[in-house]
Formats: sequence, structure tokens, C-alpha cells
Amino acid sequence: MTILRARGVVKSYGPTPALRGVSIDIAEGEIVAVTGPSGCGKSTLLHCLAGILRPDAGEVTYGEHRLDTWSERMRARLRRTEFGVLFQFGQLVPELTAAENVALPLLLAGTGRREARTAAVQWLDRLGVAELADTRPGEMSGGQQQRCATARALVTEPRVLFADEPTGALDSRTSEQLLGQLVRVVRDQRTTVVLVTHDATVAGYADREVSLRDGALDPSGLGLTAVQGRHGR
Amino acid sequence: MKPSTLLRLALAGSRTDGLRVALTAVSAALGTLAILSALTVIAIPELGERIDNHRYSNALLDEPGLRGGTTLTLLLLTMPILALAGQCARLGAPARDRRLAGFRLAGATPGQATLIVVAETGLAALIGAGAGTAGYFAAHSLLDRPRADGLLPFPTDVLPSPPAIVVTVVAIPLVAALAAALLVRRVVIGPLGVFRRSRRTRPPLPWPGALILLGLVATSSVLPIFRAYEARQSVPPDFLVVTVGIGGPLCAILGVILGTGWISHASGRLLHRWGHRPSVLLAARRLTTDPWQGGRTFAALLACVIVGAGAACERGYFQIMRDLEIASMEADTGRFVFSGDNFYLATMNLVDLAIGVALVIAAGGLLVAIGEGIVSRRRAYAALVASGVPRGVLARSILWQTLVPVVPSVVLALFVGSRLASTAMGDTVENYGRSAPYVLPLGTVATYGLLAVAAVVAAVGVGLLFLRGSTAVEELRTG
Repeated sequence: MTILRARGVVKSYGPTPALRGVSIDIAEGEIVAVTGPSGCGKSTLLHCLAGILRPDAGEVTYGEHRLDTWSERMRARLRRTEFGVLFQFGQLVPELTAAENVALPLLLAGTGRREARTAAVQWLDRLGVAELADTRPGEMSGGQQQRCATARALVTEPRVLFADEPTGALDSRTSEQLLGQLVRVVRDQRTTVVLVTHDATVAGYADREVSLRDGALDPSGLGLTAVQGRHGR
Repeated sequence: MKPSTLLRLALAGSRTDGLRVALTAVSAALGTLAILSALTVIAIPELGERIDNHRYSNALLDEPGLRGGTTLTLLLLTMPILALAGQCARLGAPARDRRLAGFRLAGATPGQATLIVVAETGLAALIGAGAGTAGYFAAHSLLDRPRADGLLPFPTDVLPSPPAIVVTVVAIPLVAALAAALLVRRVVIGPLGVFRRSRRTRPPLPWPGALILLGLVATSSVLPIFRAYEARQSVPPDFLVVTVGIGGPLCAILGVILGTGWISHASGRLLHRWGHRPSVLLAARRLTTDPWQGGRTFAALLACVIVGAGAACERGYFQIMRDLEIASMEADTGRFVFSGDNFYLATMNLVDLAIGVALVIAAGGLLVAIGEGIVSRRRAYAALVASGVPRGVLARSILWQTLVPVVPSVVLALFVGSRLASTAMGDTVENYGRSAPYVLPLGTVATYGLLAVAAVVAAVGVGLLFLRGSTAVEELRTG
């Protein structure tokens, strides 16, 4: 069943076009990698699908809902309740501990503080960093920070996880460890994942790869994994 | 590095860098104006002790006994201006840090990177000092309009000595450059980024309370000391008067400013313990993580509140004196006699105006600090907004984080300011052979507190305008 659909999505930044009519269907529980060279519109497509940006033209549908017609307030609520978002860096609040960072989406949803912390610590445990619950981001390594950010993105048990270069700032070993854990967890939860990357190894963890070039789907259909093959299932 | 290269690199930068340079220049210009105005008052010729010049319409300029206070007030105005300049130096710091790291990556030595920072501030201050001097001379010429009685409203018939003007114009950029060099002493500018050397992590202790106590005790001993010496028909030595009369209040003011660190930390802990909302949690953690931020941000504002509370008490004292004078005249003549001689109260109006100006400048510094705080956390804020966190939650957290330490600090500042003034005045007011008990003008004192809190709320409100731009999704682009 299709959970996310984009039809003819166009988005420009001033005079610079970023997306030129992209159409894509993403099935529930699927892990899709969006790949392509730098500046091809990967992140913009992810932001449009996640309702962070509203496209200039075209449709973005989540289930039965047309996100491109929704107000920012409604889209923010959807992101808070149904989506998880993971970025390359700079996403943890530096003053909060790991557990508080992870608990934040639950607190926003009205969960009590004690319950939110318990859930946060459980998620940190699932990602192998429970011992860092009371540590601040500044005292963690990049990989540890990214595990905490992953826990925060998943703590509300979202239906779709959007990840924009989630391992872009990590070394290859840490990157593979994180992706292994992420894939295991999202498969358990049957979470749909849209993963933006320019790294063939990362794209190899996806079920399917969609390649972009100059703001449109690459007509050759040859993505990064066509060269390197898939792994990590 | 050639001077031309240094100049080019010092002034190269984004719009935020341009704004920092402009605000530094404006601060330097205001500081120059205040110092040159003070030097002008000093330049008024002394005709002798207690001999008025009869040249100026305002007694604050004409009476030799009052000119010292006028000069001191003008010089004190430079304090909030300096605080504003200090806040401006932090504006756009993350972008500047990346630029400096870029210079290091391109082969600049750490010393050269520091020199670029110092040159930027020094040049901006030099431009500001030049503009301030030009503004001073323009105002000096424009305001030189004698009244019908031949008296001048301002001392436009005198100028500070040329060496004094030159020293001012040269000293301001030098001091600014020195301050910039001191600010980067804890910073390591490396090719991969700019890092702050580890800062103290120990929570602040309430020892500034001892400073406040010491200051209040010293100030309250001024009257007993004078009375004791009077009883022995002598006068206290100058060093003793200066130590208790000036050192005491300064000690108490310092205690209030440093005490903000403890207040921030304690209120952050309380918020963290009892607060349940995400905005409160965010504010609480920021308060406990960097409790000294409050002291840095509110120093000028709190100093204004202390002086304002003291001025309010002084006004109350003069008002009682005036009431006694009127009562005496009524008793003598059997009817109310209006006297136009409300010199002291009119002087207090000027003092209030000066404090108001200082308060506005302090609020400007606060606004810069709030804006800088938002911009420096823009990635984390943008990620939260992208995850669905409403901007309102972030706005409320900034409001909590600012107001929670400000309100108790302002109350403390009001208490200290009014105690400092009232202990020096005694319990009874005497005038025209009559006496009345001194009553603290609580309403006027509280007005200063409300004004300060209102200034903070206004600064936060304007500062929050930065929030939308700083949480744009572009902040999360990976390049």
C-alpha cells in the first residue's frame, strides 16, 4: 500500500530550480534511498515529502491527505505525531541531556515527564547508548550523538522516518553500526524510511533506490547501488 | 601580512559581520559623545569655590559644586554603552568563527587570526570615534544659541583641550581592540573550527551575597562615621569616606551583578524540578548550563535599576524637604506660598532622564544578546521545528529563560539600590527647622523595576523576530 506519493513536484529557490516535476510512490514499510550528486535536489525532495517545505507546484499525498494544501501548523503537527526526522548534524539541543533530548517529542505530545524519560531511556537502550542517558551532546562522539538523534526521531514510533544524510558526518565503521541498528529497529516497527544519501554503502541498506539528477528522476535509472550492490537486509 | 590585506580580511564578511561592525561603531560613537560632553563640562572655567559662572541657564553647569556630579553622570553613561559594545562583539560569532577557521585553513597563523579580530573591532571603533567626534562638533555648533537673557542652555562657549580630544579619539579604538583581544584569549582558532577553552563547570555559589552585605554595611556606616568625627569636632579622613562611601555601593552593585549567576542556576534547578512543559525544560537546562550568561547580559540593566532605585529614594527625600519648606512658609505667612525653587526635584528629573537613556541602551544590549543566542543555536532550533516542534514552544522557552532570572535579580537590585540610598540618608528629614520621618517611596522604586522588566520583555519580543529566520529549513542543508 502506498503511504507517500509525490506527483509532478516543482520547487525553486528564487530563480534556481531545485525540483522539476518529480513523481514518486513509496510503499508502507519500504526503505527508499534517494541518491544523486550534490545539488540535484535530494534534500529538497525529502523536505517536500516530509511537509517541511511546500512545493511550488505538484501534489504531495500522505495516505489520503494532500500535504501541499495544509497549513504550516497542520504539517508541523503531522511531523510531530506521524513522522520522524533525522539530519546529518546539529539537531540535539546542546543544553539537554540525551534522555531529555529523546523525551522532548513525547513531552510535546503531552506525555508525563516520568513516562517520557522511561521511554527515552528504553529507546537509547535499543540503540546501544543507554549509558549516555544523563550525558549532554557536547560530551558525546559524533556517532553517539547520531544514535541519540535516531532515538529521538523514533521515540514517537512514527509511521515514516525521513533521514537526510544521517551518517554524513560519521566514519565508515560507525556509519555501518548505526545503519545496522536503524534498519533492524525500523524493520521491527514496520516504519517507512526515506533516506537521502550520496553514499553507495548507505544506499545499499535500502530496499529501493531513486536517483535524481538536476532536479528530476534520473532517466537512466542507474543509481549508486547498481554499481555496488545491496546489503544489510 | 600587509596592512592592506589585514584591512581587507578584517572587513570581509557576511551581512551579520557588517551589522556587528556597524553596531560596534555606533557604540564607539555614543561613548565618544558621552566622554567629550563630560570633558566639555570639565573645561568650564572655575571662577572660585561657590562662585557661579552666570553663563548657563542650567544650574548643573553653572554652579561649580554641581559640575562634578554632572561630569560623573556623563561618564557613568559610558557604562551601558560599553556593555552594549560588549554584546555587539558577540553578534554573529558563529559565522565569524567559521570565517576565521577558513583563514587558518588557508595558512594564517593563530596570531594573524587574532590580529584580524582585533583589527575588525579597532577599525570599527575608530570609525565610530571619528563619527562621534564629528557629531560632537556639529552639535556644539548647532546648539550654540543663547537665550534672550544671554545665558546658554549648553556649554557651547568652551571646548575640551585639543590633547584631551585626541586622547579620547585614540583611546576608544585602542580600548576596544584590547577588549577584543581579551575576549579571544579563551578561544583557540584552528583550521577545523573555533573552540572555546573549557570553562568552569562548577555551579555558582551564593558568595556574592557576602559582597552585597559588605557593601550595605559599609554604606550604612557613612552617617555614624561622620557623627562620630563630628562629636570629636573633626572630619573623617578622605580615604575612609571614599572607601565606605564609594567602595561600599560599588561592592554591593558588583554583588548584585555576580549574584545573577547563582540566581540563574538556582531558578533553573527549581524550574527543572517543578516544570513539566518542554519550553520550561529547555529554559531550565539553559539556565543551569550557563548560569553566568544572565550576569553578562543583564549587568548594565541591573546597574541601571540599582541607580534608579537610589535616585527614587533621593527624589523621595527631596520631596519631603520640599513639603517641609512649603509647610514652613504656610506657617510663617498663614497661607500657602508657592515657591518656584524646586531645584533639587528638577535636578532629579535630569537624573531620571539619564537613567532612562541608560536603560534604553542596556535594553539594546539585551536585544543583541537575545538575537545572538537564537542565531548561535539556529541548527538545533531548525531541526526541532523540522521535527514538528512549534516555534511557540521555542519562543516561550526563550521568554522563560530570560524572565526567570531577571525578575528576582531586579527585585534584589531594587532592594539594594533603595537600601544604599536610604541608609545614607537616615531616618529623619530636616528642613527649615522642621523635621519629618523619611518614608521610602515604594511606588517610585517599584516603577523602576517595572520599567526594567518591561524593557526586558520588549527586548525578548523584538529578539524573537530572529526566530523565524533562524529556524528556516535552509539551516539544515548539508551543502
